[in-house]
Amino acid sequence: MNAEIDTGIVRGACPHDCPDTCAFEYHVKGGKLVEVTGDKNHPMTQGRLCVKLKDFASHHYNPDRILTPLKRVGPKGSRQFEPITWDEALSTIRDKWNGIIAEYGGQAIMPHAYLGHQGTLNGLTSGDAFFNRLGSTVAEKTYCESGSSTAWIMTVGPSGGLDIESFVHAKYIIVWGMNMTSTNIHGWPFIVKAQEAGAKVVVIDPVRTRTAKAADWHVQINPGTDGALALGMMNVIIAEDLVDHDYVEKYTLGYEELKERAALFTPERVSGITGIPADDIITLAREYATTPPAAIREGVAIERSRGGGQAIRAITCLPALIGAWRHVGGGAMEMPIWEFPTNFDRICRPDWIRPGTRVVNELDLGAALTGELQLDPPIKSLFVYNSNPMSQAPAQAKIAKGLEREDLFTVVSELFITDTAKYADIILPSAMQGEQLDVMVTWGHLYISLNQPAISPPPDCVPNVEMFRRLAKAMAFNDDYWDRSDWEMLQDFYDWDSPALEGITLETLKETGWARINVGLPHERKPHAEGNFKTPSGKCEFKSSVTANFVVPVWRSMYEDMQPGEPIDPLPDYIAPHESRETNPELAKRFPLSIVSPKAHAFLNSQYANEAPKQKRQGEQTVFMHPDDAAARQIVTGSTVRVFNERGHFDGRAEIVDALMPGLVMANLGHWPSFTKSGTAVNSISSDAHCGMGMAGSYSDNLVQVEHVAA
Amino acid sequence: MTHVVTANCQACRFTDCVTVCPVACFHGDEERLYIDPDVCVDCSACIPACPVGAIKEEFDLSGDEEEWIQINAEKASDLPVIRSKQPPLPTADARRSELGLN
Ligand code: SF4
Ligand code: SF4
Ligand code: SF4
Repeated sequence: MNAEIDTGIVRGACPHDCPDTCAFEYHVKGGKLVEVTGDKNHPMTQGRLCVKLKDFASHHYNPDRILTPLKRVGPKGSRQFEPITWDEALSTIRDKWNGIIAEYGGQAIMPHAYLGHQGTLNGLTSGDAFFNRLGSTVAEKTYCESGSSTAWIMTVGPSGGLDIESFVHAKYIIVWGMNMTSTNIHGWPFIVKAQEAGAKVVVIDPVRTRTAKAADWHVQINPGTDGALALGMMNVIIAEDLVDHDYVEKYTLGYEELKERAALFTPERVSGITGIPADDIITLAREYATTPPAAIREGVAIERSRGGGQAIRAITCLPALIGAWRHVGGGAMEMPIWEFPTNFDRICRPDWIRPGTRVVNELDLGAALTGELQLDPPIKSLFVYNSNPMSQAPAQAKIAKGLEREDLFTVVSELFITDTAKYADIILPSAMQGEQLDVMVTWGHLYISLNQPAISPPPDCVPNVEMFRRLAKAMAFNDDYWDRSDWEMLQDFYDWDSPALEGITLETLKETGWARINVGLPHERKPHAEGNFKTPSGKCEFKSSVTANFVVPVWRSMYEDMQPGEPIDPLPDYIAPHESRETNPELAKRFPLSIVSPKAHAFLNSQYANEAPKQKRQGEQTVFMHPDDAAARQIVTGSTVRVFNERGHFDGRAEIVDALMPGLVMANLGHWPSFTKSGTAVNSISSDAHCGMGMAGSYSDNLVQVEHVAA
Repeated sequence: MTHVVTANCQACRFTDCVTVCPVACFHGDEERLYIDPDVCVDCSACIPACPVGAIKEEFDLSGDEEEWIQINAEKASDLPVIRSKQPPLPTADARRSELGLN
């Protein structure tokens, strides 16, 4: 679908993996995108964008953009490419794939995708139907929120939970593991408003972030120990009888067992695990239980260690224990994506998956490509879209080794030649958000939004949905799935007749750009005041009816089979990190520092990290350290340091800050390896071990050493 | 990086800037406002909101405006947060005319 206007304003929405999904106004002049601004009337966007997107228009005209299909003409990774036509690109892919399928079977082909785009047509699930039809390996896309989602769904079911806008009504707010002023900036004003009205805002984070500084109380916690803190809070709440017994009795399952479990987590013991003084744990529990409405914003960071899933389980039990769900503004928020009536089965076509098809987790990419997983058949072709694993996936060195394989046929669909795309045999050029139609998937608020094309893409750049149409045709799939227009697909991909979308159609969205879905207004919404949990029992399941690990199907092409399946404790528990000084003292002798790698402020994952204004705002790859750890290593602010462990290393500029606790270092994620001093970035040291639930990554569960290096 | 309030804000207090700021990082006295560099998230929402073009992103400052970086940092740490729109100073309109903005 091409842009229809030459000059004027077109409504759209942000394409990114960010909970804010801002409503855009594209300003077009003479067929050129001159500015993109935030819609003033959208209750969440409120007229603002963010540091990452405020100059979004110029992004479309970045001279480094890939404008034609490319084929590799030098050694793998050498960035030597030549333009080719779409016909040549498609026939190369077809011939290669047909050869691989004949020799090894379809499962030797693996897609790799995440949320480089967050649309219904062009996002996370945009290639699922194609690859299911092709008979490829099913890729499990658990980069983010998968551990949280498994835990959340086990506890309260696929509930939208607390609306971010309802936070203004809260009197006690816990922001747990989230630097909202960097990663949920349009959610933050609701918390500021509550704070102005007298709410106490508590931030739980290992780092005194900008968000933590703005809180009334920063509770500094050892990374990966959130589950212990939540259980410690329960211990106090139960011991001091601050439980809402009526709510617990009517709307929860397994209180007696939970009580027994929580009894093991005395404030003293929890203090030893979390590093938080026992008195603070008691105060936090008391205040939380006695200051209604009490709200919790669960950050994604919590899941990024071995016990992250169980931590989310424990945290998600808290509101039911104290009856917080009874109140407007009470409860917890994971992500409200579950409220949107998206027809994922129609999008992904799991009915096309051949029985017995294997699943390979995307965070195991390095292990899959290098033979460590001993896959039979091996992966002979990789198709990467909406993702940049060389920056974002763990075990960077292993992935690079895999991508260098001469016998691996790699296709990458991209906007720029990223550190992943540089290894491709074929690169396909993508369209940008200002150039394509989509309904945006949203995980941070309750508005559905339509992104309309404001300008036409460069002639060879195509939206993912069109790319898969072309690939389907090239592979001679004659299913009518790919005969539909984008508009027709959007009609089919949502249940427009559902109560949540009553009064909303694609046509009305064309006019309004966005609409609040009908799931209660922020000043009234109490989704679980009377239970109504979407669990098998209909109750909040302290003790879950699920006892085996699973990944929510939307992250695995809606495939139900071949789930990880290892047993999980049906009760919330504290599971210690894979790597910490306490749990792995042998390893800690060589690598004594824990590291966390939060998202960069000025980049959106790795997107924009190749653009000069964003690099200027973010600064170079920096290694933040506590003064004690720095002094012990003769490191000062400005020193060039190397962070390393057995998996790899990266270099950065040291910055000594007391915002960290001793023994912890921090380096932001997103810098492209090719732009750093060492040619590697923070994921070079990340382990590809998983969180105990939902196969999430363990990015915040790594030990390293830091040393001074000659600049 | 941060944003800074530069000279134009002198003797002006329309404070449209504070109503759009998502992090309440404006501080002020009777005369004018300053941005707390530790709190500002660089969203630039305040730039078009200021009717006299007083706010700039740090790296857009001209050489002789760079002193404002330090002034903002220092003043912001001493002065109270200004969260909502204040009544304009009596001199506001005159200031606008002086800047040729009326
Ligand atoms: S990245 Fe997030 S905050 Fe920035 S414009 Fe997009 S949705 Fe809004
Ligand atoms: S740039 Fe954004 S955060 Fe900074 S002062 Fe302006 S509105 Fe506030
Ligand atoms: S709107 Fe501009 S001139 Fe008015 S107070 Fe804010 S910065 Fe100063």
